[in-house]
Amino acid sequence: MEILSFLARRIAQGLVIVFLVSGLIFTLLRVVPGDPVRLMAGGMAPEALINEIATKMGLRDPIPIQFMRYMGHVVRGDLGESFVRPANGASTGGSSFDDSTRGARAKVLDLIGETLPMTLQLAGVAVAMALVISALIGIPGGLAPGRWPDRLAFYVSSVFISLPNFWLGIVLTLLLSVKLGWLPAIGYGGFAYTLLPAFVLAVELSPVLIRTLTGSLASIMQEPFIAVGAVRGLSRRRIIANHALRNASVPLLNLLGVQFSGLLGGVLIVEYIFDYPGLGLLTINAVLQRDFPLIQGIAIVTSAIFVFINIAVDLAATMIDPRLEY
Amino acid sequence: MSAEPILRVRDLSVGIAGNARPILADVSFDLAPREILGIIGASGSGKTVLSRAIVNWLEAPLVVTGGSVAFKGRDILKLSGGAMRATRREIAYVGANPMGALDPTLPVGPQIVEKLHAVAPEIGREDAKRRVITLLDAVRIPSAATRFHDFPSQFSGGMMQRALIVDALVSNPAFLVADNVTQPLDVTVAAQVLRLMRELTVSFDTAIVFISSSLPTACDAANMILVLDEGRVVERQQKDALVANPTHAYTADLVANTPKIWTGTTPPRTPPVGEPVLSVRGASRSYHVRKRGSFAGTSEVRAVRNVTFDVHAGENFGIVGESGCGKSSLMRLLSRLERPDGGQILCEGVDMATLSGRDLLAFRRTVQLVLQDPFGSLPPRTAVGAMIEAPLRIHGLGDSKARRERVVAMMREVGLSPELYDQLPLGLSAGQRQRINVARAMILEPRILIMDETLSALDQAEQFKLLALFETLQAKHGLTYIFISHDMALVRRTCDRVAVMYLGEVVEISRNERLFFDPGHPYSRALLSAIPTLEEKRYRTEDCLLDGEPPNPIDLPVGCGFAGRCPNAFDRCRVESPVLMARGNRDLAACFLVEREAAPVLEEALA
Repeated sequence: MEILSFLARRIAQGLVIVFLVSGLIFTLLRVVPGDPVRLMAGGMAPEALINEIATKMGLRDPIPIQFMRYMGHVVRGDLGESFVRPANGASTGGSSFDDSTRGARAKVLDLIGETLPMTLQLAGVAVAMALVISALIGIPGGLAPGRWPDRLAFYVSSVFISLPNFWLGIVLTLLLSVKLGWLPAIGYGGFAYTLLPAFVLAVELSPVLIRTLTGSLASIMQEPFIAVGAVRGLSRRRIIANHALRNASVPLLNLLGVQFSGLLGGVLIVEYIFDYPGLGLLTINAVLQRDFPLIQGIAIVTSAIFVFINIAVDLAATMIDPRLEY
Repeated sequence: MSAEPILRVRDLSVGIAGNARPILADVSFDLAPREILGIIGASGSGKTVLSRAIVNWLEAPLVVTGGSVAFKGRDILKLSGGAMRATRREIAYVGANPMGALDPTLPVGPQIVEKLHAVAPEIGREDAKRRVITLLDAVRIPSAATRFHDFPSQFSGGMMQRALIVDALVSNPAFLVADNVTQPLDVTVAAQVLRLMRELTVSFDTAIVFISSSLPTACDAANMILVLDEGRVVERQQKDALVANPTHAYTADLVANTPKIWTGTTPPRTPPVGEPVLSVRGASRSYHVRKRGSFAGTSEVRAVRNVTFDVHAGENFGIVGESGCGKSSLMRLLSRLERPDGGQILCEGVDMATLSGRDLLAFRRTVQLVLQDPFGSLPPRTAVGAMIEAPLRIHGLGDSKARRERVVAMMREVGLSPELYDQLPLGLSAGQRQRINVARAMILEPRILIMDETLSALDQAEQFKLLALFETLQAKHGLTYIFISHDMALVRRTCDRVAVMYLGEVVEISRNERLFFDPGHPYSRALLSAIPTLEEKRYRTEDCLLDGEPPNPIDLPVGCGFAGRCPNAFDRCRVESPVLMARGNRDLAACFLVEREAAPVLEEALA
């Protein structure tokens, strides 16, 4: 019952957030310079034709009206069609306005549906790697504040945070793929292609996780119930595994929810470098081509995912610590 | 008690690694089966270190520098980690911080099962669970089977301490170390926990080392008392002998400074019957808190319920009650930090709630407040003089030279050296800080001073000094004091009239003598019975208080709030709520028994 009311409240809040984000993106896209119809129709198209297409597509209506029309479609599960991408593959941007080879334009939902699983796989592997790295380095650090494992954790996170992801991606590709041939790097042809970009993302994620884990574990170890555990006859292992880590994981979880937005940013760069066919690459191309419907669709989907992940994180945190209330 | 002692401590010394000065020096004692041994000492005397050393639980930098702690003939200080953990089944410990002792993210019952499983792995999960529930029931935790699954934050301090006693006793230990277990609890709850521990030694065959900083509490619990001073045992006597003839200077001091309630020599002041300066007329205040597990629901906490009383000019008026009874909420209403949402509070005939702007500022000069926490209530980076001067500046009184003169004069009056004027409050003692607070309140020459637990953070000697200061100030300025306190001994010493609060209501208003010698409400009697004192008690907790805790202010019971804990409750108390009734001489109590007392008189008159 408690969980249901929690979900109801949070999902209602989440819908408001997604709506506001969509409105913001929608407005911004329409006030920035650059006419998408010009890109679609080609540089040589006459002004009258451009105006005609734009009016037909509703692009000359006031922004609120365009937005409400758009949201009306979104509610019915229709994110619209890409301005520039045909359903059959190659981009049409810049070709002649009366190009007869151009077929039906691609559905935004389909484009996202193809790339999102790839990105979720990348993000999932990256988060898993980051958690393993943080646990291996952060837990010993948190258990020995001020001693060498703590300092090691500090140095490792300092080094990790100083590595730019594009540089690390290129260096690792050169080393592991080109020189040693251990891992594939460019494009996608199987799960192994995920590992290298995921590792680069994990290195980007882990410094903050390591610092948080070390800090929260060290402070939990100062709590009276940890000390009292010993006199109650619990072994140190049991105290750490059952109680200290359980309590220390709450701030870590909350951080993961926030870090997820950072991950989306990282995905853009990393997918571009590794030419990984995910949502990030799609976003970059959509922006370069001023593909309004695609950008909007991506914005709605990512903000919905962001909201969903944060609800899940908060739910998990309340399960661990019943004192929390969201 | 000729049996072999369970615990034999010999020449135990504890020090800090690399420091020659010992924390404990050559402590020796025996503990017989089923014995309760009391150990008392001032803070810093080494009590807690001793309590930890005898369960082999010293943490760095503390190290045992000599001696032995033999449990059933084996020196536990020499046991390895694993062997010691096995021995924890026989040696239990309960500390002074019940709310911090268990993992807050796991339910209480399973944590006790976990402990039992750790020290006695042969007991199956189901058996262990059954045993824990039986014991929770035995320490009188209501509906133990449900409470088993509740989290530590859902337990009150008193219930948590009971749960930890279960945690300690669940493995049937041979002895139990109880380190200041009653210190964080309210007096009535502490009295119940103490009673429980005495019973359990008999039924569980457990010996107890009862460590306390309060002599009366230790005497309540134990027969033999050991006095610790600066890490040494300075005295060891039966409790009656110890109180009658303390041999060591520290013990003598302790006995002499223990407040007396009924045998004191203080002649009761005749309360002045001046004009009422403060009239509380049916004041109520509720707070709304978000209800868990609802979409947007709120629960109502009725913190102050229909409170009515007058405070007369020049009077010392006391408001007593235990934590959560609403006394601090009432303080916020009296000082007009908040407005009541029902009823009125009149100050010199003016309804406080109607004041605003300039009038409110002017009113602030009439009523001033001194708070409990001497550290949190002073800004750490403001000079002492500027702090005391601030109210004058706010009210725009005098130029800077006149203000400075007044501040210096006020500092002298409250016993602060004027040299402190330009200094920061860093390093000042709690007593000096409270003097700053008093000076800051007094500088506006208020007529009423509200003292919210002002003295509870201070030690006995400092309390005496400040009380003397309050008397001088009252004589000189004609002040009216309102003391809000949980300390009955303090109230006995200072107040002319006392209002007793329970669950947001005033259940009794009596003059000092009447309250302490002939209380009108059963709750007042229960409070009196629970005061830790060395005197022969007028009231015994056993007769005055049933087990149980104050009800939750969110779900107020129908009828009298105290009925659930009251030994005198009868059917009517559970359906109807009594109001304050006169019991002669302006004393009032909200109890149907008062009415019954009065009834025969009425019948006689009719006959």
